[in-house]
Amino acid sequence: MRSSSERVAEAHARLPEGVTLHARPAGALVLEASRFDAEVAVTIGERRANAKSILEVLSLGACGGAEVRVTASGQDAAQAVARLAEVLPQLR
Amino acid sequence: MSSDTEVGSGADGAVALAVVSHSAQIAAGAAQLAAQVAGGRAPVVGIGGAVDGALGTDGERVLHELRALAARGPVVVLVDIGSSLLAVRAALARLGAGARARTLLADAPLVEGAVAAAVAAAAGADAEQVRDAAEEARGAVKL
Repeated sequence: MRSSSERVAEAHARLPEGVTLHARPAGALVLEASRFDAEVAVTIGERRANAKSILEVLSLGACGGAEVRVTASGQDAAQAVARLAEVLPQLR
Repeated sequence: MSSDTEVGSGADGAVALAVVSHSAQIAAGAAQLAAQVAGGRAPVVGIGGAVDGALGTDGERVLHELRALAARGPVVVLVDIGSSLLAVRAALARLGAGARARTLLADAPLVEGAVAAAVAAAAGADAEQVRDAAEEARGAVKL
């Protein structure tokens, strides 16, 4: 039985054209993810990173226009994926 | 040449980072990069070079900077190699007990550790979490 603290959520977003997920935007993404208690991951293609780990997010090497899958598990998973899906297209 | 650089600023009580290197340029550059990735929301100080600006460490300056940082709140220190660590350890031995207890050494790669620690500090992590974030950089995969 799944308790309410084990909620999972998923959302998709696209990086803006011309914005690679390099130092500054990656930091902004990680700081947003860190505001939530849920475990949050971002997946691009086959590569998945803990959205709260700057070094993992940087290692994605994500390029502008990339499709990003955001997944989360935890009590505020829905809010976390909604917020990251909102933030990702606005990174610069 | 004075090379101490503080870039970024944190909220009250935010953990500060000290990046100690033999090179003023490495210390300043790593501090600048870490602060930028953290959105300017983590205080990061680079401390590098010998008294005359050559490669080396200036123990008095390390002590002065760490004392100033620890007077404001918790501090996580990253070092590059050899005598940077010796200088930091010597400085810690000369700090008061309170300041020494607020100052944690991270066993971490300098650049990656500083970046990871700065983001953790900007996210509001406590000193032990910031140190752990830096140390997790040891196992980070780049490719």
